[in-house]
Amino acid sequence: MREQAAAVEAVIARLKELLRANLHGVRDIHIDNVAPITAGNAREAWEFDVRWRDRGGEQTVSCVMLRKAQAGQLETELIPEFRIIRSLWGSGVPVARALWIDSDGRWLERPSFITEKVAGATDFLPLLKPEASEISRALAGQLANVAARLHTVDWRKLGVDFLPATTPETAAAQQIAYWETLFRKHRMEPHPIMSAAFIWLKEHQPTAGRISIVHGDFRFGNFLYERDRINAMLDWEMVHLGDPVEDIAWAYRSLWSPERVFSLEEFVRRYTELSGIAVTSDNLLFYRLLGEVKHSIISLTGARSFMDGRTRNLFLADRASTVTSNLKQFMDWLPD
Amino acid sequence: MTKPTIGDLLNGVATSLRETVLPEMPAGPVRRQVQVAISIIRRVSLMWDKTGPYLYADNKDIEETLQQVCAILDGVESNGSGAAFEPLRQRLHAALAQRDNRGVEYPSPGALGVRNLELQWLLIEVQEALQEPSPSPGGVEHPGSAERSEIMPMLLGLFRRMLERELEVTAPPAAKQLRSC
Repeated sequence: MREQAAAVEAVIARLKELLRANLHGVRDIHIDNVAPITAGNAREAWEFDVRWRDRGGEQTVSCVMLRKAQAGQLETELIPEFRIIRSLWGSGVPVARALWIDSDGRWLERPSFITEKVAGATDFLPLLKPEASEISRALAGQLANVAARLHTVDWRKLGVDFLPATTPETAAAQQIAYWETLFRKHRMEPHPIMSAAFIWLKEHQPTAGRISIVHGDFRFGNFLYERDRINAMLDWEMVHLGDPVEDIAWAYRSLWSPERVFSLEEFVRRYTELSGIAVTSDNLLFYRLLGEVKHSIISLTGARSFMDGRTRNLFLADRASTVTSNLKQFMDWLPD
Repeated sequence: MTKPTIGDLLNGVATSLRETVLPEMPAGPVRRQVQVAISIIRRVSLMWDKTGPYLYADNKDIEETLQQVCAILDGVESNGSGAAFEPLRQRLHAALAQRDNRGVEYPSPGALGVRNLELQWLLIEVQEALQEPSPSPGGVEHPGSAERSEIMPMLLGLFRRMLERELEVTAPPAAKQLRSC
């Protein structure tokens, strides 16, 4: 308990420094109700309220701070995540309002950013219960709406040049190269089946129908919801420009799929009606297969972080054991 | 002495932690760490004695498949694609010869694991050697295509068996139930 209190005090002191540097012409900065809210695998999250006085009087904002974990299951930078949330604010895609960033950890020890707090829960396990099926179904339908909106945003006008450029012809190849590099870096054994999977993916790269902003981790569990309403999409750390079908394939991975209450066919139908984006079976199959590989590599990265002693998060310790079932799914989906 | 087995001990430790330690812990990150630790201990208690037999069967299956690959490559030794596969052929022959001269009747799981890694690397080498090059001009069949179309289904069959075998060890039905809790 004493350690926890000391950690909170330290966070308050650091946050005040950050806010003094970023809030100009204000006085009486107070930070209250500081508390850790998750033990995330890639970042740690804190919530707090900040009060200050300016010419308009007293201002209060409830905030969430995301701070990069020491090591985790993903090697991502916080800056693109912060910038995409900021860029998408007001676009019709539900996101939290981006407030401040400490990109190099100057104030907050490690790279961190702060958004306005959005009400709602993320836990999707309650949504799997039979009594929640109506709510789950409504949320899955809304997820299709969000996908349609995100994928039709005119990203050229948003100024998202911080995301690597791609083309319909190279989008798949870029994803393969990204994940294969991580695989080679983090694998703890040769994994010939994963190598076979990469060979198949390279030989069957589809051309994207269009290039969109791809969330990269678009699924149940990564949005804040209240009853049957999605308030904000979270966890943009894998955002990139690419084939929008990638997000749909990922949303229907078996681990978090809403298939039971909202079939993939229904999702695609609604998505296409709203967005005008066709989802071809070749692209969908390719990204479903890539999804199994991607999830395997996320797991291997987490397990490697634990084995190397860069994290003591036990959630990551046994993650490599999930790779077998992912690759089994990959093989089962392979066309004859 | 065989009792209590390592599995019995680990299972007992997991039960003690769940029944005596966990109820005393407040909700939060520390409690979640202990819950995960208990799940891992339980999973290991189910698989600790299966590693040796699993690796033995896996190595045997990979070696037998690679023998068949060798036989195919031996058959094309004299023509053009045979020359391209010659370094791989030699590597395979050398690696497979090792299996008969180790002189250990009951290899340890550690020794089986080392052999398994060697064989995994060989499987990657075979795949890389067979990887489909870009189509040749005029649609001329690339040397090695016939071997590839014969060997790749053989490897895919092996991979399916490897995954089934690994799932039996890493995710037995009891472990799956634990994970879903």
